[in-house]
Amino acid sequence: MLSGLSRGWLRPRGRKEDGRLSRASGSATRPMSLESDLIATLGPERVHSHPLELLVYDKDAGVTRGKAIAAVLPETTQEVAACVRLARKYQAPVVARGAGTGLAGGAVPAEPALLVVLTRLNDILEIDAEARTAWVGAGVLNLDLSRATEHLGLHYAPDPSSQAACTIGGNVATNAGGPHCLAEGTTVVHILGMEMVTATGDVVMIGSKAPDPSGLDLRGVVVGSEGTLGIVTKILVKLTENPPAIRTMLVTFDSIQAAAAAVSGTIAAGIVPAALEVMDQPMMIAVEGFIHGDLPVDAAAVLLAELVGLEAGVAAEADVVERIAIEAGATSVKVAADEAERALLWKARKSAFGAVAQAAPDYYLHDTVVPRTKLVDVMTQIYAIGESHGLEMLNVFHAGDGNLHPLVAYDAREPGSEQRVRAAAEEMVRASVAAGGSLTGEHGIGLEKRDLMGLVFDPVDLDAQARLREAFDADGLLNPGKVLPTGARCYDYDLGELPGGGAQ
Amino acid sequence: MTSLRAELAKLADGLLSDSVPGAPETDFTISPEKVDDAAAVLRFAAKSGLRVLFWGGGTHQGMGNAVAADVVLTTHRMSRVIDWQVEDLTIVVEPGLTVADLEAQLQQRGQTAVLPETAPGATVGGVVAAGLSGWRRLRYGPTRDRVLEVVLATGDGRVVRGGGRLVKNVTGYDLPRLVVGSLGALGLIGAVCLKLWPLAAAQGMVEVADPRVALSNAYRPLAVIETEVKAVVYLAGTSEEIAAQAERLGGRLISGHRWPDPPTGRWELSLRVPAGQVPRFVDRIGSHGWAYQAAHGVGEVRFAVEDEGSGELGAMRREAEAVGGALVVMRAPADTDLDPWGVVPESTELQRAVKAAFDPLSIANPGILPGGI
Repeated sequence: MLSGLSRGWLRPRGRKEDGRLSRASGSATRPMSLESDLIATLGPERVHSHPLELLVYDKDAGVTRGKAIAAVLPETTQEVAACVRLARKYQAPVVARGAGTGLAGGAVPAEPALLVVLTRLNDILEIDAEARTAWVGAGVLNLDLSRATEHLGLHYAPDPSSQAACTIGGNVATNAGGPHCLAEGTTVVHILGMEMVTATGDVVMIGSKAPDPSGLDLRGVVVGSEGTLGIVTKILVKLTENPPAIRTMLVTFDSIQAAAAAVSGTIAAGIVPAALEVMDQPMMIAVEGFIHGDLPVDAAAVLLAELVGLEAGVAAEADVVERIAIEAGATSVKVAADEAERALLWKARKSAFGAVAQAAPDYYLHDTVVPRTKLVDVMTQIYAIGESHGLEMLNVFHAGDGNLHPLVAYDAREPGSEQRVRAAAEEMVRASVAAGGSLTGEHGIGLEKRDLMGLVFDPVDLDAQARLREAFDADGLLNPGKVLPTGARCYDYDLGELPGGGAQ
Repeated sequence: MTSLRAELAKLADGLLSDSVPGAPETDFTISPEKVDDAAAVLRFAAKSGLRVLFWGGGTHQGMGNAVAADVVLTTHRMSRVIDWQVEDLTIVVEPGLTVADLEAQLQQRGQTAVLPETAPGATVGGVVAAGLSGWRRLRYGPTRDRVLEVVLATGDGRVVRGGGRLVKNVTGYDLPRLVVGSLGALGLIGAVCLKLWPLAAAQGMVEVADPRVALSNAYRPLAVIETEVKAVVYLAGTSEEIAAQAERLGGRLISGHRWPDPPTGRWELSLRVPAGQVPRFVDRIGSHGWAYQAAHGVGEVRFAVEDEGSGELGAMRREAEAVGGALVVMRAPADTDLDPWGVVPESTELQRAVKAAFDPLSIANPGILPGGI
């Protein structure tokens, strides 16, 4: 569609210098060499740099927009490595990108950058049913993997709400979560190995199907690093056995605090359900308007609890959860009678953000985490913060692991609305941190929370993280301006004078 | 050395101690009481070009390349429980606390850190540094999934904190997972926050004929362990649940858990291979009459060898490496020709850079990791 337009920029002499390659195109004799080299490597169809084409790539599902020099669509690890080497040659920053469903700006360039879009690395390369593992390309969609392994009685456990659209590579970059991470853990728990393109354009394998890799285990720091330590192109994931029995319960309450108390009580009683999700009334109303599922819109809050395992254990745990919920003030308890009812409840939960997107012109989805014992306190504060800024707030969150998702619906066209939303966001983060919590449970730091890192880490801690990053990327080529605040690496550590005549 | 000793004695006021039984003879043995003291010692050591060996319970000092050290830093005076949030299922402890003490305390409140079940004398710091997991990892995951926060005294004497006391958290790079298995190469672990699990109401075991079949018949058992004597499936849950599991397995339910003691011998080894490869290697190890414990579904076989004359360990290592695994030496005679690690990982150069980010002068357990990192 844009081919007519793009011919213009492809022709070296016809191109108007617009400064987009300011870091790269200092030499006037080779005004657009990065693009030419990329095209020589990938062909013109897989290199996009027209401003209209780049509109698709320079933002994520959050609120920030960035600037891309070009977006490329490599199909192999070697092509990714070639793109990184070219970017290095022209000193252009590189930002890796999956499906763009992130919310914290991890894939949004903080400065003009080459976007390496990994969606075409979308082959499921191997499924090993006996070892319960799979090798997948970074661009494989989360839900596609679970669908491909269903006939083996296996699934891929992390299930973000965006699982039908998000890529596993993107999940690795953000260490994504989801409702079922309560019992199963977030993405990092399910990543056994990966093939990664380093900042120097080399390809390195980290981890394997064997447990406990020898030497420093780099998997943990790469997962969740938002493309700042390398570009992961292939991923070895752990698959999880489908449970023989599932009990999904919908419990209603007349206050959000009562629902939160039921969650804290369940964990304290030593039960770790597969999922413990809470939704408040405004969110229920929005979801009901979207899916028409006969949801209990009169309740102030609902708890969606799921227990999995053998029938005998599931039944016993369901009884305990019900008892704790009633002690906390539950007004009704309903158990999904069949798979269709269960599917409806999960559809309600996972449609929440879509429902709001349909109902409000704009929304801002928060992500903080607090100790499970502090849920009641912090939720009370969150509502008060929303009210004090006159904001319309809806809540749906992974209550079982203390992961809050206050969602503010607003209209960006209304003057001052964005400032109010951002001011409230920072207050909510501060309230969470004051309760012993942290900045993000699953969405990541990205651009959104970079400058709040100092709330949870001392300068010496941030400096250590910056040094770690330099160990992978000494020149700051990969996704610069993300995760760590500017100046994180300013903590000068001086060993001091050597003792008199001490060292030989 | 005289002036160094005087300066170190001043710095480590009252913390110099006698050498630790089993530890190599060094000029100094220091037992700090808090992480700041450990960091001060490391800073001094870095300035003075002294190499430091960390010592917990001494139970896994046989791992890794031999460390030439001038100072031994022990953790036995750092053994407190700092913060236990019983209702949030998290606990913060110092490194010198023994695993047995920790688990005994947790058990009183019906909780577990799922650390190794049979490691007498092992400390929490040592087990985390060695990256060792309990048998129950098949159900609850390895130790690396348990460490939520770490305080580290780096090789150049900084006190750095990473992660957080939260069960779910993606704030910043995951330093806790980097420290697990680092064998002291980044510095001394000053404290860890561990994620806890509730202990199930009932525990049981079922002896089975074929562990491979049992693994697919049981629903997420705690462990399936095969030794040269028998194969046992370990279960936990409600009493109805474990009874149902025993029925699925077609065996008699034995109440409670009894974990096998680690196999001991002149060579003690950990074979790490893809889970599906375990039966093949078990057959091979068993054919030599060696004592072994295989964790089915996990991919680890621990075994012990008295006489390694034949070169069989080297051959087995090459086979393990060919399938992406490793044969790791846990303990060996001093004069062995067998390398502690085998082939170096592909990521060795990255690892070297990461080590330098924490320990630029390479004084913290120098050279212990593959590639002499």
